[in-house]
Amino acid sequence: MKFFGILVVTILVVVFVNPFLPYWAVMVILFVIAALLKPGNSAAFWGGGFGMALSWIGLSLYLTINSGSDLPDRMAQIIGAPSGTVLMAVTGVIGFFLGGFSSLSGNLFRNLIKRRPTNIYRG
Amino acid sequence: MKYIGFIFVFLLTLALGYFGSIPLGPAPPIVPLLDPNHGFWQQTKSEDDFAEEEITLENLTSPVKVTYDENLIPHVFAKNEEDLYRIQGYVTAQHRLWQMEFQTMAAAGRISEIVGPIALDLDRMTRRKGLGYGAELGINFLQEKDPETLRFLEAYADGVNQYIDQLSDARLPVEYKILNYKPEHWTAYKSLLLLKYMSDMLVGDKDLEFSNLRKILGEELLNKLYPDFPIDNDPIIEADHVWDFQPIPISKPDSLNYPNDELVIEPLPQPEEGTGSNNWAVSGSKTKSGNPILANDPHLSLNLPSLWYSMQLSTPEYSVKGATLPGALGVISGFNENVAWGVTNATKDARDWYKITFQDNSRSTYKYGDEWRKTEFRVEEIKVKGEETFLDTVVYTHYGPVVYDRTFRGERQDANFALKWTVHEGSNEQRTFLMLNRSKNHNDYNAALDNFTAPAQNFAFASKSGDVAMRVQGKFALKWPEQGKFFMDGADPRMEWQQYIPNDQNPSTLNPERGFVSSANQHPVAQSYPYYVFDNSYEHYRNRRLNNRLREMNNITVEDMQALQFDDYYLHAAEALPVMLGLLGEPSELSDIAAKFLEEVKGWDLYADPNQKGPTIFYLWWNETYNQIWKDLSNLEVPVVRPNNYQTTLLMKTEPESSVFDLKSTSVTENASDHVKKGFEEMVEKLEKWTEDEGDYSWANYKRTTIQHLVPQFKSFSVANVYTGGGRGMLNATSERHGASWRMVVELGEEIKAYGVYPGGQSGNPGSKYYSNFIPLWANGKYLDFALRKEDQDLPVLFNTTFNPVK
Repeated sequence: MKFFGILVVTILVVVFVNPFLPYWAVMVILFVIAALLKPGNSAAFWGGGFGMALSWIGLSLYLTINSGSDLPDRMAQIIGAPSGTVLMAVTGVIGFFLGGFSSLSGNLFRNLIKRRPTNIYRG
Repeated sequence: MKYIGFIFVFLLTLALGYFGSIPLGPAPPIVPLLDPNHGFWQQTKSEDDFAEEEITLENLTSPVKVTYDENLIPHVFAKNEEDLYRIQGYVTAQHRLWQMEFQTMAAAGRISEIVGPIALDLDRMTRRKGLGYGAELGINFLQEKDPETLRFLEAYADGVNQYIDQLSDARLPVEYKILNYKPEHWTAYKSLLLLKYMSDMLVGDKDLEFSNLRKILGEELLNKLYPDFPIDNDPIIEADHVWDFQPIPISKPDSLNYPNDELVIEPLPQPEEGTGSNNWAVSGSKTKSGNPILANDPHLSLNLPSLWYSMQLSTPEYSVKGATLPGALGVISGFNENVAWGVTNATKDARDWYKITFQDNSRSTYKYGDEWRKTEFRVEEIKVKGEETFLDTVVYTHYGPVVYDRTFRGERQDANFALKWTVHEGSNEQRTFLMLNRSKNHNDYNAALDNFTAPAQNFAFASKSGDVAMRVQGKFALKWPEQGKFFMDGADPRMEWQQYIPNDQNPSTLNPERGFVSSANQHPVAQSYPYYVFDNSYEHYRNRRLNNRLREMNNITVEDMQALQFDDYYLHAAEALPVMLGLLGEPSELSDIAAKFLEEVKGWDLYADPNQKGPTIFYLWWNETYNQIWKDLSNLEVPVVRPNNYQTTLLMKTEPESSVFDLKSTSVTENASDHVKKGFEEMVEKLEKWTEDEGDYSWANYKRTTIQHLVPQFKSFSVANVYTGGGRGMLNATSERHGASWRMVVELGEEIKAYGVYPGGQSGNPGSKYYSNFIPLWANGKYLDFALRKEDQDLPVLFNTTFNPVK
């Protein structure tokens, strides 16, 4: 469940904030969100990773289909990638790592400052 | 453990974020490029996807409406010219920002800033030629003499800059993203620089090559192989034109000594062969409707984003439409409600070289007559990406910059040559176009042209009132015979340009009896013109084909003129092929494939249509034969030019046994026939090999016309192998990399009918559907309707934008 929560929040952040802010600002926000929500390492990593990957792939797919432009293929040739589709996959993979590690760092950071109950009877 | 885990993951995250944002080796920062919200994915959108209905702009005096037609051609309706040019700047930048800036970076010798040390030599060359120096003088000229034009240039620059200032990362053109830099502010200086860049593209000289030839061949043979006028001279101004002015007397000084050096320096980059243009105007007496028709097709290197950008510019006083140059004001080749004009290059050896004798190694003084004159030093600071700034000191004499010296391409330590070029004089080409845009008649046209210095152009003109005219305009030095044909001695004042030909004595004609005016880069005049005229690059084929057709045509329609722009009759083949077949004779023992080639070329109708095989066979056969004939010249260790196709063909026809055909490097005595036979063998061998490797050798396939992106390495942004006919020396001059960069036909009746097309599209964005959408039309000789629009006309519209002043 926590995975889906982080996934949805990440998608919302990328879709609504990324158009106005550069990717590193999105990374900071994902870090903060994970630190606040403390979803757990695994949910943070996979949720943040897939959230950002899916929204980036989704947007590049939407732009490509909607415009009918062959720019992705042309760009692929210049960069030396096999095709525009590969470029889209690479975009997704990069999004995955950026999102996943940002969230994971956030969650790990929260673990650091989380006060550990020393005496369960005093609370 | 937690700490180690956190620190490890956190550092990894920082590293991902950081290394994604910086360039790794030659690659651009990868994440900003791929981020679909800001990176290249955003360039998949076309201009109509982000159309804005209203834009607020500073410094406007009243609202300006811009209507984009279905081809994204903007029609700007402004209340005054200052608003008009401000919006021209803004709108052009919207679609062509990267290109405008890149071209001026090239003109300023600043490509190294973008691409690094590989462009350093190119940048040094550009700067040592003094393009930036010329543009600075141009700004001084405007400040002193023409504040109005300067004000308009500044309004244009302000429009461009207001666009740049609001530009988001997402909308930044993709080339900036790949090459990883950002646009700078535009200035009036950059607009002038662009016009200087055009000069550089269009002007060449062969002084170095002719100096060498003179030494190697001697005067007599030089004049036989390279006559100043061809026998079939069909000049721009009709040959029987009467010159009604008293020429300024000039004569060649006695006993001149030309520098006699071994000139092994590398020549300046020259405009490529095939850079040329056609324009003509037929008067009402020859047209079906009785209205004059004007046609223009400038041939330049075929590039994307296209050199031209179409626009209509309207004020309450006038409406002008046609091709603009992104970065320059107004319309360059176009028409308004009253007149139409077109330009072709009027080369006339506008660059000359002087050998400079310095007093000593400090190069602070040089010899001029009996005195020692002071030089000036100009230090060029060339920023180089990833390296330290390169400082290049260029010595300036009163002639101009010393381009070649001990630090640059001078093989000998004492090789110092100064460049004299009209580009280095304060001038005001921009004003010519501003005035042409508002011209109403022939007088206005002439007044506009008086401001034009370089690069010299043949301005064809037609007006609604029925006039057709042609004027060869530029600032031409008044030269004595052969002045400037060879490198000259800068220490001898008699070698210097003394004065210029007055504007009203430049070759011009108004309503000639033959009913048309035309130019195709040929000799401007017949030998009756009282001043010395020389250039190596004059055209010998397009002009004759054009004039022959115009002479015989009557009841001409717009469609006829369009067809003539697309005409691909191969006149050189028509003249050379019978001579070559005659010299070849009836060869025995031909291989099957050789017999087939011979059969095909014999049966060819002499039109270079894309599906024809004849032009390929002829073209190759001619080139091989030509290379054989001038083998001795090609094998020289110094730069020379070889005789042109016309003169070579003439010699083959009239004196096939002449000693000019004998190669001194062989023991036997060759004649023309030997070269033709050898050329035929070579052609068969090459074409057979080509066919094995590449397949079909029909003309378009062989020629492979490519419209190349300004960064040639961005291959996928180019359009390769365009299926179209034509070639060098044909009216449709579309060769591998050159051709009609803009075609326009205008009929000046009660209502103006106009048609135009260029090989590209309005958008400079390779992802846009408007990037190359005109190319299929252009390749098939089709046109877009270019009729003038009124502000509230009910015509198809892509979108409208109103620019409002700040309240």
